[in-house]
Amino acid sequence: MASPTDAVATAAAADDPAVGLRGVRALRDLADRLEVLQVHAARDRGWSWQEVAEALGVSRQAVHKKHARSRKEP
Amino acid sequence: MFERFTDQARGVVVRAQDVARATGADRIEPIHLFLAVAIGDGVGGTVLRDAGLDADRARTAAQGTEATVLAALGVDLELVRSRVEATFGDGALDPRSRPGHLRFSTAAKRSLQETLRSAVGLGERRLDDAHVLLGVLAVRDVGVAAVLADQDVDPLDLRRRLIACRAA
Repeated sequence: MASPTDAVATAAAADDPAVGLRGVRALRDLADRLEVLQVHAARDRGWSWQEVAEALGVSRQAVHKKHARSRKEP
Repeated sequence: MFERFTDQARGVVVRAQDVARATGADRIEPIHLFLAVAIGDGVGGTVLRDAGLDADRARTAAQGTEATVLAALGVDLELVRSRVEATFGDGALDPRSRPGHLRFSTAAKRSLQETLRSAVGLGERRLDDAHVLLGVLAVRDVGVAAVLADQDVDPLDLRRRLIACRAA
């Protein structure tokens, strides 16, 4: 039985943008899930939204808008 | 468009939603439509099985697509998962299942447009699960391609079989 990696290699050459773009999307999705976990952990430890935002390199508004509701925080 | 779908094709769309939800996806993708056809007992599902596709194995292969494309970049998803779970607990990295109705991705919408086009091209008014499958094949999705390659099913051969079964 071919491994899934072989399957993709067979389905599309490694230089196929379709595979490359799918990889970008998978990385982004993985990063998003990690971000949720880490932001919640930081908030649980008392980090301010400002501190979380600076660590992520985004604005306080952006991080608050994205995560406050899922934590049911004001 | 859905008013022209047979019950069989409507069933595919409903099952695609269930399949997508079960895998934690946030959208219905072409692969979910494909798997919904594969586990169904319509004409399209029968042709898929005749072409040598095993639905259970297809489902397993589909779930490995994310890990596979990440591995191509040198990212070991299982390693990431085990480290994250060591900190945050079992299942921490699993996608959250979304409440409510899942939307169709752009590619899945395009699959459905191609479904309509394939029926029109064959001069048929009603759209069944074989047309849905033709529509999915028309968009050349990476996930679908990987599942077909995993089981040595040639998409062109599959397309020919689907069109032949319409002519019969």
